[in-house]
Amino acid sequence: MNDEFQPRIIAFLCNWCAYAGADLAGVSRIQYPPTIRVVRILCSGRVDPLYVVKGLQSGFDGVLVSG
Amino acid sequence: MEGIEGHAGRFTVTLREHPRFVDINKCIACGVCAEKCPRKVEDAFNEGLNKRKAAYVQYPQAVPLKYAIDADHCIYFEKGKCRACEKFCPAGAIDFNQNERIFTIEVGSVVLALGARHLDPSAIEEYGYSTFPNVITGMQMERILSATGPYQGRLVRPSDGQPPKKIAWIQCVGSRSTGATAHEYCSGVCCMYAIKEAVIAKEHAGRDLDAAIFFMDMRTHGKEFERYYRRAESELGVRFIRSRVHSVESSAPGSDSLKVRYADDTGAEAEEIFDLVVLSNGLETSNEVRELADRLGVAVDENGFVKTACLSPLETSRKGIFVCGSVANPADIPQAVMEASAASSAAARLLAKARGSQVREKEYPAEKPIDPAEIRVGVFVCHCGINISSVVDVTEVRDYAKTLPGVVYSTDNLFSCSQDTQQTIRDAVTEHRLNRVVVAACTPRTHEPLFQETIREAGLNPYLLEFANIRDQDAWVHQGCPEEATVKAKDLVRMAVSKVTFSEPVERLQITMHKSALVVGGGVAGMTAALGLAEQGFPVHLIERNGNLGGNARNIRATWKGEDVRSYVEELSKRVIAHPDINVLLNARIESVSGFVGNFLSRVRKGGRSEEISHGVAIISSGGGFYKPEEYLYGQHERVTCWHELEDLFEKEPERLQRAEAVVLIQCVGSRDEDRPYCSRLCCTASLQQAVTLKTRKPDLEVYVLYRDLRSYGLREELYRKARELGVIFFRYTPENKPAVSAYEGTRGKLNVTVQDHVLNIPISLDVDYVNLFSAILPQTDNDLPHLFKVPTNTDGFFLEAHAKLRPVDFSTEGVFVCGLAHYPKPIEESIAQAEAASSRAAGLLARGTIEVEPVVSVIDQERCVGCGFCEASCPFGAVKLVAVAGKGFRAENIPALCKGCGICAAGCPQKAIDIYHFRDNQILASVQAGGETTREAKASSRPSPAARVTFVSGYLMRRDCMYHVGHTWIERMKGGRLRIGVDDFAGKILGPVDRLNLPPRGEVLRQDRKGWSFLRASRRAPFLSPVTGKVFDINLDAVSHPENVLKDPYGDGWLLVVEPKGSEAELKHLLYGEAGFRWMEEENRKLLELLGPEYERLAASGGGAVEDVFGIRPEIGWETLVKTFLRTEV
Amino acid sequence: MAVVRYLMELSGIGADRLCLRWVSAAEGARFAAYVQEYSEQILRLGPFLPDDFALPLAAMDKALGSPRLRWLMGMEIKITEKGNIYGEKLDEQAYRQLLNDAAREEYEKALVLAALRTRPGTVRDIALETGLPVYTVSCRLNELERSREAELCGYRATSPEFRHVGL
Repeated sequence: MNDEFQPRIIAFLCNWCAYAGADLAGVSRIQYPPTIRVVRILCSGRVDPLYVVKGLQSGFDGVLVSG
Repeated sequence: MEGIEGHAGRFTVTLREHPRFVDINKCIACGVCAEKCPRKVEDAFNEGLNKRKAAYVQYPQAVPLKYAIDADHCIYFEKGKCRACEKFCPAGAIDFNQNERIFTIEVGSVVLALGARHLDPSAIEEYGYSTFPNVITGMQMERILSATGPYQGRLVRPSDGQPPKKIAWIQCVGSRSTGATAHEYCSGVCCMYAIKEAVIAKEHAGRDLDAAIFFMDMRTHGKEFERYYRRAESELGVRFIRSRVHSVESSAPGSDSLKVRYADDTGAEAEEIFDLVVLSNGLETSNEVRELADRLGVAVDENGFVKTACLSPLETSRKGIFVCGSVANPADIPQAVMEASAASSAAARLLAKARGSQVREKEYPAEKPIDPAEIRVGVFVCHCGINISSVVDVTEVRDYAKTLPGVVYSTDNLFSCSQDTQQTIRDAVTEHRLNRVVVAACTPRTHEPLFQETIREAGLNPYLLEFANIRDQDAWVHQGCPEEATVKAKDLVRMAVSKVTFSEPVERLQITMHKSALVVGGGVAGMTAALGLAEQGFPVHLIERNGNLGGNARNIRATWKGEDVRSYVEELSKRVIAHPDINVLLNARIESVSGFVGNFLSRVRKGGRSEEISHGVAIISSGGGFYKPEEYLYGQHERVTCWHELEDLFEKEPERLQRAEAVVLIQCVGSRDEDRPYCSRLCCTASLQQAVTLKTRKPDLEVYVLYRDLRSYGLREELYRKARELGVIFFRYTPENKPAVSAYEGTRGKLNVTVQDHVLNIPISLDVDYVNLFSAILPQTDNDLPHLFKVPTNTDGFFLEAHAKLRPVDFSTEGVFVCGLAHYPKPIEESIAQAEAASSRAAGLLARGTIEVEPVVSVIDQERCVGCGFCEASCPFGAVKLVAVAGKGFRAENIPALCKGCGICAAGCPQKAIDIYHFRDNQILASVQAGGETTREAKASSRPSPAARVTFVSGYLMRRDCMYHVGHTWIERMKGGRLRIGVDDFAGKILGPVDRLNLPPRGEVLRQDRKGWSFLRASRRAPFLSPVTGKVFDINLDAVSHPENVLKDPYGDGWLLVVEPKGSEAELKHLLYGEAGFRWMEEENRKLLELLGPEYERLAASGGGAVEDVFGIRPEIGWETLVKTFLRTEV
Repeated sequence: MAVVRYLMELSGIGADRLCLRWVSAAEGARFAAYVQEYSEQILRLGPFLPDDFALPLAAMDKALGSPRLRWLMGMEIKITEKGNIYGEKLDEQAYRQLLNDAAREEYEKALVLAALRTRPGTVRDIALETGLPVYTVSCRLNELERSREAELCGYRATSPEFRHVGL
């Protein structure tokens, strides 16, 4: 399984900061691995610790919180 | 702007619009035109440090984000051929037929926000800007440090792309200088930007970077600037060198580094070598602006700045034309943004009658009721031309969407944002009775409002839309892996569908605006703000706690430009009192404030009575005072005065001035020290003003100014020059070496002042008649305003605005604004402008009958709430409060008008009683779960089955995930570090059916490689070595009563012991794992075959299974031999 | 989030599975770099198998949702900066300690309960299932009995057996 292991990361991104930064990466065509699945939130303070647990329970290999 | 005709209130303006050759309604900002354009041009936005194409967007965050063709460099315009952009544009947006357009518009007032340009330092030859590639301007440094700059934010120098180790900033390049290539005024912004660049450079390159700033006076007079300066010096180690730079030269022939030659503050010559030199070049008015001003009939001063007066800082010489920002006065961002609001207030006063006359309301169909039980999701997947579809398989995503639960319709569009597709979406909503919509396209940050509008027009609540970002965060960033990008797109669509399934209509929140304002404080700022609103037709209540209006301004005689302040204040007070829409309440104080934007209710006490005032907005202009010095004999000697006291004294007793021979003015008394680490901003200018006045009235009077840095910023530098010309003498002192004041005789006679001369480095003794102190400006703190209005102050006690640059007069509490000294020390012209700005911001709210607030706010389940108050304490916006509920104590309540929907309260609510509309927990969790669904399934199906966990080695079953001990035992790590132990298949097979297991009792300590337990067959004993050291935690009682299990299922039901290891981790290294274990087993098998003899070797060669019950079949080998050989124990 | 990391470490999931990064709207390149960096880190860590951590995850979920922990997390500023009504304050470190201790207890309690949710068992069974020391299991069971979440349901030989209330 490890040979073809593609990490899956759930990313909680703040609409005003990191989500905008991620869009800018797109506009600038900066390439990065297709590993993250983004959930847009209005503030990184919204990330309840329980979301992290849910991310891992749901099958993700990692959780990225970025504000 | 070509020209203007008419008069204030009715202008006709002629405009010329240059063609951009791109239809901005079609451009999707994909960048293909720039990619294909063959012409490279110097990138002006990056100050010429790199190239862009002739088809370009000025910078990545431009608004609107639309491309343009630079006709001056386009090959088609030069040679009539090319049009590559047109050929490749997927949206057909290139239009070479666009023409210049000249047209007119009708306006009532005009605001000039033309800005200033950076002075070109090429002409200042001694700095070598046009000679050395590593001499750059401040703005070039900005671009180098920017993530979107020419080097993507890497700090490198232009000549060789290497990171510099030493950087010098040279201040006042082209400012505060004489000569044809320079300006006499101070550009006001360069000191702060140089410090900022040095700090950021250090953040980029690390603390080892050497950053040195060569300066004359450090002018950090803005709010929080002095602290920043101190931090840069003491914490980050930026070197500040007080000096005059003589020249910049090459450090050595062939080297790219530079030698900076300068005179230090004692006048001594010195030099130092740097890798990069940044010239802090100043601001100046461009020729185009001068020409435009000329065309408009607006007067400019000798420096080219549009002329304004201190008492009407926004008005030009032509009525109806206003200014803001650096076109009138060098301004930093906070100042310029504040003035912009101010100018709009001034402009709006002329237009008050016409307000709203050209506004049309848009109408929407009634919202369809949503049946929560019936989920009908429509999915629209966008190709975005080829932007998405060149990477993501859009049709596959579309078809996949159809399979998702709740989805009843799915389609793909070439451009989802185009007019016709909007209609398609609306039609689909109706035809397929969609009650939820997912758009998979560019990014919600730019296009969510458009699609919300679309479904709203189709009768759906806008919050029933969900966006899947498959362009900016997928197709564009995974161009090399289309398959993975398609998988990601499908995941994102599934997440969006999952979230939208839980979406619900969110009601729009409208707040009725009470169309009146409360202004707290009746100084110049408060009166200006009140008039600004009243003249636009909004009633104002002006509260002043003293018995008269005017505040501090009543002590001021003149502005620095010489205008009479006293008569201005008198005139202003009269207008305020006479205005029918202003209710002036003198000797009044605020007792309580409740409510929120649009609906404040304040209780005001005046005399013995208190009255309630309803108001929609509030402006705090509570002013400030000054520090009463305890130093320099102030209060002990009648000739030591403070601020305007000396002027008052000379006015009352003019003979005192006639008799005086010398006066000393001391600055920074109580400012910029440990107690008040801020600059009081206006004292330098005020002392220069006094010095000039004294010298003018009595030229033979000796006037000394003792200062630390002379901060006559902007055009005020003129006063400094004038003072020097008049013979005012300046001594700079340091906080370590403050001047000393002593009295000669009693408390009425002459005074002696000693001060250390910084050039000669000797103490100078001055005999003087008067000492006037310029003490710190203090915030008004003997009031309860921060608490009443729930607005913050900074550590110095001045009110803290929502954002220094973006919202300089707003509080983060909606509907409350600040201006004047309450915000920060500032001269009268800045107070007036700021008051206009506050009234402009307030009028923006008052002009509306209702205001719509973002309905994405928190929602509290009062049944679950226990009234703990955590939410109230944690809300950064004061949007949650506890209310008493009969019989239940307290319950939290949300104030939607204040709530920003950040969700901090929800994330922390101990009872989980708080949720956020449109970002509800169940929506987010559903989205997360859906996002992981496919991987979770893949993991479950690829989970090693019990069968996959085992393998046969030489016919013996072995578990891949266990460790083995050479005594034929296996060890499995358990949770918490315990070890499960059993014997392997091989041991079972050689010993055959055993009838008793002699296991150690719980608690017994086993040692590695010592006997641990034994099996018995008939009366024959087979002792086993313990594979580890540890305490027996548990034994398998089932196995004890069913010893056959050991043979049947050695790795499952046949386990023997659980041990809590007591040995070292190194012990486990003696065990065999993986391949090493398999090789060992093969070896053991070979040994066994040798014992068994030739016929069994054949059996092995034929691939037959292992021998069951070796002892039973070949007892002649001997029990002892088997035990000794394989279990490595003695019977 | 510090508590989450602490519990992830405690449960053997590893704090590396959670990554916090600050990115501003102007930092596209930085965002991409963080994703790259974190993806590589996860690649090194290998896949996370939720089924192997079903008990710890369930326990974390319960512990992090427990009013006690949420109270403590929410009161950080009140406890460390403002003090209680007697004006008593805790310094940052003492607060962390307090929080971690509470988190550990709540987590262990939830873990015991999660084990009992699968099947009733003796202290020793639960210790084996959860990897917790026997003494800890006894203490947590005691608390769970008091809060009526677990109860005695019989004896196996002389060992008392417990079960999840309401199952």
